[in-house]
Amino acid sequence: MPHLHTRSEILRGAKDALPVMFAVAPYAMVLGAQASQVDLSLAEVGAMTGLNFAGCSEFAAIKLWAAVPPMLTIVLITLLINSRHIVMGAALAPFLQHLPKRKVIPALFFMADEGWAISYADTLRRSQGQQLPAFSWPYYWGACLPFYPVWVGFALIGAAIGPALGNIEAYGFAMAFPAVFIVLLRGMWKGPRLACAWLVSLLVAILVYLTVPGAWFVFAGVIAGMLFTYLREVMQ
Amino acid sequence: MISTAALLTILGMASATYATRLAGYLLLRKRKLGPRARAVMEAAPGCVLISVIAPHFVSPHPEELIALGITLVAAWRLPMLFTVAIGVASLAVLRLYWQ
Repeated sequence: MPHLHTRSEILRGAKDALPVMFAVAPYAMVLGAQASQVDLSLAEVGAMTGLNFAGCSEFAAIKLWAAVPPMLTIVLITLLINSRHIVMGAALAPFLQHLPKRKVIPALFFMADEGWAISYADTLRRSQGQQLPAFSWPYYWGACLPFYPVWVGFALIGAAIGPALGNIEAYGFAMAFPAVFIVLLRGMWKGPRLACAWLVSLLVAILVYLTVPGAWFVFAGVIAGMLFTYLREVMQ
Repeated sequence: MISTAALLTILGMASATYATRLAGYLLLRKRKLGPRARAVMEAAPGCVLISVIAPHFVSPHPEELIALGITLVAAWRLPMLFTVAIGVASLAVLRLYWQ
């Protein structure tokens, strides 16, 4: 019964994604509220979150927004911030070879940090457990798709409520995102060799964050960790 | 209502983002990676996650650093929901009593 199997895999993905929603929803509301403060209309907030669907870049765009938004700057910063997706897609690519391109391309539209990390960690677990295929297609949809209505919906709610929302940051939600990412990292843990590369990424990202203005720190951190791993492999 | 300038900016953002989502897959879809490239791609996902949250490790607010430490300890053993709850609650409580 492949149909039942698909359903249980979708549900398994959605179940793993559910706790992360509690971190994403308040963040989306903060984004919406900030957007309304720089005079984005509800339709514009809906269009941005629905068509772009990448939170970090949307926060950056809102910070730069004006009556006539600086289009080129915003698009270039979006490209810079989201360049990490290139690495994310590349990490997933070897596990997608059994799927046709026409199915993967629309699915990748929904590849945001959280859903991707949940699905990638599951792929690693299945691959270690010799389950085939390692990448579960229905699990990916279950883990990724629910973030879409949550992100767009709560951003709209935040935009509608606007300033009445108050300073949501004051309630401690600032810790929700690092908590989510740290647990996701634990799911990718494979021993100290990988962790060394992560530590290099962390240190370089911190250094760049403190010294270079703008959004370069993610890019720099990712490249540094990958370069470190490459050099270590070469020297062995 | 959407102004033309806003719409163009949003469409530009959306195209840039979708391009980044497709690029890695399209580049590596048919490649067979050597051992070095495989090692790099194995480390890369964690590098992405840790880099995104790097600013939290040098927050200027001490209460956020303490809450991050508590979150790290919680994440060691606890599942997602509990870790997030402990992280948020510890920061909220610390903020109440700080100053």
